[in-house]
Amino acid sequence: MTATAAEIDRLLDRIEQVIGRSNIRADAGALVTYATDATPLQRGRPDLVVLPATTEEVAAVLALANEARVPVVPRGSGTNLSGGAVPLRGGIVMVLTRMNRVLEISESDLVAVCQPGVRTIELGEAAAAKGLLFPPDPGSQSTATIGGNVAECAGGLRALKYGVTRDYVLGVQAVLASGEVVRSGGRLVKDVAGYDLRRLLCGSEGTLAVMTELTLRLLPAPESSGTGMAYFSALSDAARAVSRVLASGVLPVTLEFLDRVCIGAVEDYARIGLNTRAGALLIFGQDGDPHAVERDLGRIARACGAEGATEVRIAGSPAEAATVLEARRAVLPSLSRLEPLTILEDATVPRSRIAEMVEHIQALAERHGLKIGTFGHAGDGNLHPTAVLDPADEDAVERAHHVFGEIFAKAIELDGSITGEHGVGIVKLPHLERQLGAAHVALLRRIKTAFDPHGILNPGKLGS
Amino acid sequence: MSGVFTPELLDRCISCGFCLPACPTYGLTGVETSSPRGRINLMRALETGVLTEDDPSVLEESSFCLGCRACEPVCPAGVRYGALLEEWRDHMWRGGRRPGRLKALLWAVNRSSRVRALGLPRRHARTTRRARRGPHLMLGCFERTLYPAVSRSASRLAPELSVPSAQGCCGALHAHNGELERGNVLAHELGEALPGLIVTTAGGCAAHLAGVLGGERVRELSQWLVERHGVEPPGAPRTPPLRIGLQDSCHLRNGLGVYLEPRELLARVGEYVELPSAAVCCGAAGTYSILRPDDSARVLDRHLDEIADADLDVLVVVNPGCYRQLEQGVRRRRLRTRVLHVAEVLLGA
Repeated sequence: MTATAAEIDRLLDRIEQVIGRSNIRADAGALVTYATDATPLQRGRPDLVVLPATTEEVAAVLALANEARVPVVPRGSGTNLSGGAVPLRGGIVMVLTRMNRVLEISESDLVAVCQPGVRTIELGEAAAAKGLLFPPDPGSQSTATIGGNVAECAGGLRALKYGVTRDYVLGVQAVLASGEVVRSGGRLVKDVAGYDLRRLLCGSEGTLAVMTELTLRLLPAPESSGTGMAYFSALSDAARAVSRVLASGVLPVTLEFLDRVCIGAVEDYARIGLNTRAGALLIFGQDGDPHAVERDLGRIARACGAEGATEVRIAGSPAEAATVLEARRAVLPSLSRLEPLTILEDATVPRSRIAEMVEHIQALAERHGLKIGTFGHAGDGNLHPTAVLDPADEDAVERAHHVFGEIFAKAIELDGSITGEHGVGIVKLPHLERQLGAAHVALLRRIKTAFDPHGILNPGKLGS
Repeated sequence: MSGVFTPELLDRCISCGFCLPACPTYGLTGVETSSPRGRINLMRALETGVLTEDDPSVLEESSFCLGCRACEPVCPAGVRYGALLEEWRDHMWRGGRRPGRLKALLWAVNRSSRVRALGLPRRHARTTRRARRGPHLMLGCFERTLYPAVSRSASRLAPELSVPSAQGCCGALHAHNGELERGNVLAHELGEALPGLIVTTAGGCAAHLAGVLGGERVRELSQWLVERHGVEPPGAPRTPPLRIGLQDSCHLRNGLGVYLEPRELLARVGEYVELPSAAVCCGAAGTYSILRPDDSARVLDRHLDEIADADLDVLVVVNPGCYRQLEQGVRRRRLRTRVLHVAEVLLGA
């Protein structure tokens, strides 16, 4: 489905009557800058960029595009890592960042109502101003929009204790490809009227509908928080420590790990005094009542010690806590500075299989002569194997693709997933059927058709 | 059109988009094309021939960018955006594409003799004919004629600095406006005219000189005062204390990481008020306020709102471009706030 230039011109004229010329871009320069998101090596070629400001405008543009059978790819800030916002078949990139208002923070209903283009961090700040917490905190939260986070079901560092974005979506207003507006759920914790469409839209990657308003659950903000770190000489010790921590009656808010490649890269870059001889580093954190935080950090430290941690430290001062968090935050910057191309994936396995998975990744990297560091959310098994290479080295790029294929296969073999929080997008679509099976994938296609009979929404991705 | 950019600089960007919320022009338009990541995509398209230098968006965005470098401190991959922008303008603003007003401005400061002529009214700091060994106070080019009291105050605050008369422009204006090579030559000339350490009252000059001559050769004045005197400034506190706000110099903050020093000094002479947008470009941006007055005024607006809301006695600047921009803005809005350079306010002006 590729529209001719004349068809696009006609569509542009009709869209212009709805949202005004100043909210449409069709110049070659703008189209270049909306051809990609944050995914390496994935590029499309949009024909138009439109920036609607209201649900009515979104509906009108979708109805026109549907009639003309022109693809529409919804987009927030374009921080996607699986190619979800890349306009693979051209058409319209629909940018929702002008719909950026927090409409309400309700302390009595414990909900936030907002438009999709609000940045996730802004939503968090609006909630915090009233003593409330919106827990999902993906690494891109300072830039990413809440609409994008819902569409991709973003995770983050606090998922072990608080869950992921889907656990906070109470209500959704969305526009179907036809331009019809539907609502699912609302401000209620209990609501079983109809199929749970809000859950279906969460993680639908812009292939079913365009969300134009979200009602999100909030929690009372925790009173305090604390953090610490533990070194292990072997990865398997760290993995056993994770199991022991979780069996000790503590549910930490953060339980992150770095493998030795990541520890070395961070220390080379940030010089914060990490022990580069260690095989693995666990970073843990807890929030809540100050006494409970202290007690839990002590339990976590003891569990690590019992599994052979070579060194355990609980941050005693804000400066120490900052160093601990810096160690985790600096991983991606440090790895990405080693080579021009950084491929960051998110294969996920049951917690009990983490060591097996990471050792497999390390062996694959060695066998294929690639530099791959693995870090991630040890508490929920969500790993981030990250390859750094030179894109000019075509053979290395080829080997990296092969290795990631092997990583996905291993994740499936270990009862895991090809993607924990980044989405299927373009990159993981070829691996999807292996995980879900043919009947499941066929069902996804039928669901897609029910929402979007002409296949105009983000074609070439999920359900296509 | 390959060869416009240094490949290692252009390769750095991983397109994560973390720069978007930091960019003032993206804040104005909400369009990716006028964000740092978007502009890097334009640069890449220019480099690979997907777009040409005559493409209207390429032309517009190379000029619409403030060059404030607010994208650099938030970049996880360490992209040197300021260096890329210099290379971009060096290519774009050749020949007929060069803005007319720019030619006159750069001409005026292109030779040391012309710069000295700018300072002929001689109300700036007293100079000596021969250069002693450093440290030296730099007079700047436009600053010496527009704001001569700045170097006079700096000289009184730091009498140990010698002020040789034979000094021209540092070349920052050239480097930021499409004359990269001339910008480097002028910096080296100034480095020879002022051997040893150079202390400057202009954040933009400090960053440019540090980039060409090396960081160890250059100090911005507040940096120098903190290093020399600790955080105890020479000026005496006032009663009741002045309510003082600051406008950071973009290149001083984003390029050199210097922003605590002026705050430390100001907190000692008055009640320091951190404005929400103190770290955000005021829209002066070197020649920007002259080349794109309307956009520059739009960028300035939120700063003036904040100054009015905070009801400041004094708004302090650390760069002559910001001085002019804020002085004019405050006057237009008829605010009661005075705009002063950090040297002037420390001296109790």
